[in-house]
Amino acid sequence: MNTGTYSTTGELAKHAMLILGALIVILPFYVMVSFSLKSPQEIGTHAGGFFGSQQAFLDQYCVKLGNPEADCWRNPAAYNYGNAFKKAPLLRYLLNGVIVTVSIFVIQVLIALPCAYALAKLRFWGRELVFGLVLFCLLIPVHAIALPLYIMLANVGLTNTYAALVIPWTISVFGIFLMRQFFKTVPDDLIDAARMDGMSEFGIVWKVMLPCAIPALMAFAIFSVVAHWNDYFWPRVVLTGSRDLYTPPLGLREFQGGLDGADTGPLMATATVIVIPLLVAFLLAQRKFIEGITLSGMK
Amino acid sequence: MILRHTRLAGYSFVLPALVLMFVILLVPVLVAAVLSFTDYSLGNSTADWLAWKNYEKIFTRSSYQKMLWASALYVLIVVPVSIALGLAAALAIHSLRFGGNLYKTIYFLPVMAALLAMAIVWETALHPTIGIVNRSLEAGCGGWVETFFSWGWIPGVDPESSWYASSCQEGFPLWLGEKRYALATICFIGIWQAFGFNMVLYLAGLTGIPRELIHAAAMDGARSGWQRFRLVTWPMLGPTTVFVVTITAIRSFQVFDTVEALTEGGPSKTTYVMMYAIYEKAVEQNLMGMGSAITIVFLMLVMVMTALQRYMVERRVHYS
Repeated sequence: MNTGTYSTTGELAKHAMLILGALIVILPFYVMVSFSLKSPQEIGTHAGGFFGSQQAFLDQYCVKLGNPEADCWRNPAAYNYGNAFKKAPLLRYLLNGVIVTVSIFVIQVLIALPCAYALAKLRFWGRELVFGLVLFCLLIPVHAIALPLYIMLANVGLTNTYAALVIPWTISVFGIFLMRQFFKTVPDDLIDAARMDGMSEFGIVWKVMLPCAIPALMAFAIFSVVAHWNDYFWPRVVLTGSRDLYTPPLGLREFQGGLDGADTGPLMATATVIVIPLLVAFLLAQRKFIEGITLSGMK
Repeated sequence: MILRHTRLAGYSFVLPALVLMFVILLVPVLVAAVLSFTDYSLGNSTADWLAWKNYEKIFTRSSYQKMLWASALYVLIVVPVSIALGLAAALAIHSLRFGGNLYKTIYFLPVMAALLAMAIVWETALHPTIGIVNRSLEAGCGGWVETFFSWGWIPGVDPESSWYASSCQEGFPLWLGEKRYALATICFIGIWQAFGFNMVLYLAGLTGIPRELIHAAAMDGARSGWQRFRLVTWPMLGPTTVFVVTITAIRSFQVFDTVEALTEGGPSKTTYVMMYAIYEKAVEQNLMGMGSAITIVFLMLVMVMTALQRYMVERRVHYS
């Protein structure tokens, strides 16, 4: 700040505090990646620094199975990441995660965009009533009503399906609200011109409004995808049977639950695989991500 | 003609959203409200009407009182601490000459990472034998670190009875397994995850404060940084604070991942928060009536908080 004299000691003190904070924030990420690269012995004794020595170690489990010792030497990193994918269907979990998050986002947009357009630009009786309802529904967090939703889905026999993972999130009142505010700023002339050209209202939503809304939609996409990729509660509630439908966090929890203690390396490798994609995306497009995640700040 | 045509379009565009809003958001609230007066469980075609019995239990039985207490305590710890840290980080970063963006990026990382995964990683870091935390603490025993953190250099303090020195003697705690520490540890993870989010909102708030205002305050005699903060920055951040408090409170109320993965409500129900109680009662034990009653209490609390926030934002409350 320009007021007062600029102090170097003050600046240094701030850096010192911020660095201390940064170390605590990074600590678990450090542990996660470091352990995912180490052999069980190195994890047990804290040897090998961040990357581990990467020297081959003897896989005791492999020896117990009766294989000759010479065939049981493993590279730690390859062993951990290999087991992450072998011992549990991690690839399947990741695929499920992608299917669920993408379906949720696409359906949210299909439902919310026309509704937001109607609320912002079309005149019909009851419009304010519908908007009032949207504002009311913003008060209801979906996680809080997970139980009645689960009961309803169970009664129509939909638990343990992809549908169950997606249905509660198909309606995003927040998305409707956000897009309506955005559409309000689109000039009416643009819409009138499209009507003059003989475009239907349906066409206007997807060919005129959608292109205008790309920046807002991108932010909403990040908001939605991050929330549902990381969501653990709802899949935990609604998936009670087969692992085939597990999303990444649920798969990781399952892996942790069935752990005998010696598998910390593969567990951390699994965690790394699940967490890293979003972190990398975030580092590549920070401004967009911060905008998207703090969207709810615009309410 | 156009008018009627657009009116029809309006109805058809709103209809799908309207139907889903009813089926997915409003009907479940009613379902929960009705079931909360019964002893319904899945698989039964009928249920008995219990009137207020479930609610009575929530407010009288000790295990549910522990639940309310654990949730309240969690919120009352995580909200102020994560907001104070978020604000402090934002103020420091905002006034830095260089390097601010790097800190901002780092502090935001936990917000992006799946909380469940990071909870499991924290469990590893806090593990009594392979964990980096206790190992580092143990490494400090016997050296200057112990001398310093035993506070013996402060006059009148007995270093032998300090936390650090006695832990060096008797071993460092099982962070997630001991009654004294479990909830604090869960709170710590919650704060670790949430404060970066608050920081970003405060940074946005800070850039919205005109520099002239701070200059003017300095001219008028607000000499110290603290005075300028108290007189200008803090009141100007009022709307941000209202928002940050409510969203953090609502999210903390919904804490589940860390509890389910690390403590399962224990030890002795010290971390038995509401979302976990709903999950345990309803999904694991099939006591849908009880679960619904907790859901309704939970929903009331969340809705009151959100409504309060809206009211305050609309009044554009400024703290002073």
